[in-house]
Amino acid sequence: MPKVKKDGDELEVDLTETEINQIQNLLERGPTFTEWGMFDVMHSEHCSYKSSRPKLKLFENAEENYDYVLAGPGQDAGVIDIGDGYCLAFRIESHNHPSAIEPYHGAATGIGGIIRDILCMGVRPIALLDPLRFGTLKDNPHSQWLFKYVVKGIADYGNCTGIPTIGGEVEFDKSFESNCLVNVACIGLGTIEDFEHAPSKATTPGDYVILMGGSTGRDGIHGVTFASRTLTEMSEADRPAVQIGDPFTKKMIIEATLEAVKTGYVRGLKDLGGGGLSCALSELTGDGGTGAKIDMSKIFTREPGMNSFEVMLSESQERMAFIVKPEGLETVLEVFQKFEMAHAVVGRTDDSKVLKVYDGNDLVVNLPATALSDAPPIEREARRPAYLDKLLNQKTPVPTMELEEIIYALIASENICSKEWIYRQYDHEVGVRSVVKCGDGDSGVLRIIGTNKFIAASVGTNSKHCYLDPYEGAKGGLVEICGNVLASGAKPMAMVNCCNFGNPEKPESFWFFSRAVEGMADFCKELRIPIVGGNVSFYNEDEVTNTSIKATPVIMIVGVIEGKENIVTLPFKKAGNAILMVGETKAELGGSEYHSVIYDLEGGMPPKIDEQKVKATWDFLLESYENNLIHANHDVNKGGFILTIAEMCFKNGLGADLNLKECTIDELRDDELLFSESVGRFIIETSPNDLDMILKIANKHDIRVKKIGDITNNAQIILNGLKGNSVKLNLNKLKNLYDSTIPNLMEI
Amino acid sequence: MTIKIAVIQFPGANCDLDTIHVLNNVVGVEASLIWHNHFKQSQFDGCVLPGGFSFGDYLRSGIIAAHSPSINEARIMLKDGRPIIGICNGFQILTEAQFLPGALLRNESLKFVCKWVNIKVENNTTAFTNKMNLGDNLAIPVAHGEGRYFTDKLKELEENNQIVFRYANESGEITDGANPNGSMENIAGVCNLEQNCIGLMPHPERASEEILSPKKTTHGRLFFDSMVEFIKRRTS
Repeated sequence: MPKVKKDGDELEVDLTETEINQIQNLLERGPTFTEWGMFDVMHSEHCSYKSSRPKLKLFENAEENYDYVLAGPGQDAGVIDIGDGYCLAFRIESHNHPSAIEPYHGAATGIGGIIRDILCMGVRPIALLDPLRFGTLKDNPHSQWLFKYVVKGIADYGNCTGIPTIGGEVEFDKSFESNCLVNVACIGLGTIEDFEHAPSKATTPGDYVILMGGSTGRDGIHGVTFASRTLTEMSEADRPAVQIGDPFTKKMIIEATLEAVKTGYVRGLKDLGGGGLSCALSELTGDGGTGAKIDMSKIFTREPGMNSFEVMLSESQERMAFIVKPEGLETVLEVFQKFEMAHAVVGRTDDSKVLKVYDGNDLVVNLPATALSDAPPIEREARRPAYLDKLLNQKTPVPTMELEEIIYALIASENICSKEWIYRQYDHEVGVRSVVKCGDGDSGVLRIIGTNKFIAASVGTNSKHCYLDPYEGAKGGLVEICGNVLASGAKPMAMVNCCNFGNPEKPESFWFFSRAVEGMADFCKELRIPIVGGNVSFYNEDEVTNTSIKATPVIMIVGVIEGKENIVTLPFKKAGNAILMVGETKAELGGSEYHSVIYDLEGGMPPKIDEQKVKATWDFLLESYENNLIHANHDVNKGGFILTIAEMCFKNGLGADLNLKECTIDELRDDELLFSESVGRFIIETSPNDLDMILKIANKHDIRVKKIGDITNNAQIILNGLKGNSVKLNLNKLKNLYDSTIPNLMEI
Repeated sequence: MTIKIAVIQFPGANCDLDTIHVLNNVVGVEASLIWHNHFKQSQFDGCVLPGGFSFGDYLRSGIIAAHSPSINEARIMLKDGRPIIGICNGFQILTEAQFLPGALLRNESLKFVCKWVNIKVENNTTAFTNKMNLGDNLAIPVAHGEGRYFTDKLKELEENNQIVFRYANESGEITDGANPNGSMENIAGVCNLEQNCIGLMPHPERASEEILSPKKTTHGRLFFDSMVEFIKRRTS
């Protein structure tokens, strides 16, 4: 790592020689220690997106191309107009590195950070969702430890702040053993007026700069630099770079901030997250075209004797920066006093376009406000890994086990079994908005009180598919997550993503990122889904075992449902109704749970996406909803459609009598038919009287919809019409296996 | 008459707005959110201590709020016979303030638990249960980490009819399996001797609207309707 020298002292910085020269040329002097530290942080991959930026340009401009997008990428959160004067803000972020070292506080402060991002759009955070990745749990105490404490960290923090955790997704795979992934997403709801009140910039000279919330301490210094490196044996020593969360203070910050914004005197608002004060102050002034003069002695610190380097780089949690109109200073301070929140007026904005920080009489920072955010992009090389061909050519072995044994094994597998152990620990009902509870639908559904509008949201992706083909895999993730929202009755409105990849300096790792971004960009353009924000987490790679994580471009989709009667849930409703399969089943078993659970194979051909078919399927579903033809809907996912049907049977104690004769076009083996993970498929319930009409609608949209069976009152799933013998599955046994896997692994 | 109810907002309360919504928009009384230091009992017919994490549950859940000046105000209401209900964290505060007997300990599982449960009505003469029938089995959600009820005066409570609710299974049987947190004798809620104050771990405000209930029930409303009835009887 290069070192910079100043007054005989040396400082290690994560900057390249080019960056160091560029900085010195720009300033025409050697920066101070504090300034070096600020550049170091702001030019880190985490803050500057220097490796990813050139590639992310492929995403079309959401604000320009979609009139309902109010804020797009580059802001603290994406914001969309959902009608009736309301807007939704949402964002997803990673907190992988801290969680891999210190799972409880790493996950908790991840939640804390994402809540602040939403809050600084001026709206109330109303829901959390958490996509997670860990190593496999069985016989692996380390993975169990990470899993247990990440979930507890999310629960303790989210529950205390009174924001329900309404959804999430988890995969267990050995590539995540050292680098677990903790992605956190938050949704905020407010009026468009609330949002317009609080831009994240300081546009006007003469305003007050106020810091409110927690004190500035020595924790979290260089958190973002740490997050922009691979994990090594030395990473344990980075534990002090993980911040400590305080959800109680966060709850007070939420209330105090919202009340302050309501006064109308707040002109700008920014949270202090990665990069701390350096990031917040430079972005507020840089984006607003102003400058500011800050008096460091006014900043309240947790301990005496902190120097300017520590103060400017601290990533202590629970802090917000406010830009307040001079005439409203007293009113805003009264709000903070009511909530007994620590606060200080630390400076004023001016028209200098320069950020100046004084430590007593010493000018310790004197930088053009935009200088910190100007990290030069780096063009990284991308190269397709040679081992992929071998993986893709792996064939599905001919099964030697009975089909029912395979199904019982799959439903008990970590990636397919019930995740109730997790969501029981999350308060998913606080806020009295949650109308579809965890486990009852493909996405979380929230009502907007006072309207007849509902929000559906879902997160996830399929890392095993992305590992084999990041382009199709990323698209497949989109199909699945959009499918979840659709299965709940909503039309997908906008997307944010969280790209989790390995070391971008390695061409083979960067190739996965490149291809995934291309896949998302192409799909979203074609299906008209605006990408309103994202986050990139590189360096999810571990030098000890030399493994990189499987490519994980996590997708989050939100949609809106108009009218309570249009909400669709997953459980089968009534015996005698027909079970229909929507979409085509192909021999796409690459990266399937069937391959991994039964044969310990990672390869094979993963599913391919046909955007036209996807579009037609969505149109079919929306038209069927309009005619009230669908009583239950669940997208087909890991393990294939029999597991989808089993999940639909559980809740109301119903069974299924299936005849699969007409189920496929291709000549498929029984195992290929049953365990294929072809994306874009749904299992729906319709009444026998509506069957003709629904098939007519399918015909009109030219998609494949077949009746595959009937709902029964018997606690079994019967499969007829296979090439081999019929299969009879006991639903009680399936349910037991489904429910007991995680508790058996986690409870002593 | 206009019925005026105070919902006390302790720092860290998080079911305060939910309770206000239900009281104002569903039950139809005049409920106000009152910051804990500003609470003046004389203006109200009853009060609700809502759920949440008052003062972050630091030290011990409910203990710091129990020393808030608002509790002195509430004590005047209590003595005066006006209705007071503590929900979840509110229940914890009421036991810490000794309005109600017993204590709430960490769940037996050591984990937070959020789920819909059933509670059986054991006393239908209190200020908050007079619209229920004895033996009614109510569908209502819990969401807490410290809800395991404990008392060293069990016999006394039973004799005085102070056990208001017990966790039950779907058929109304009091079983171990129906107990979400390991509470002594499945106790979900208790009242004071005078029966104008009750505390319970489940959340009536989350069970007052059909749209929020997995079974399309509105059992939570019965608590607030009972309170309204109690206030009307008191003042008529």
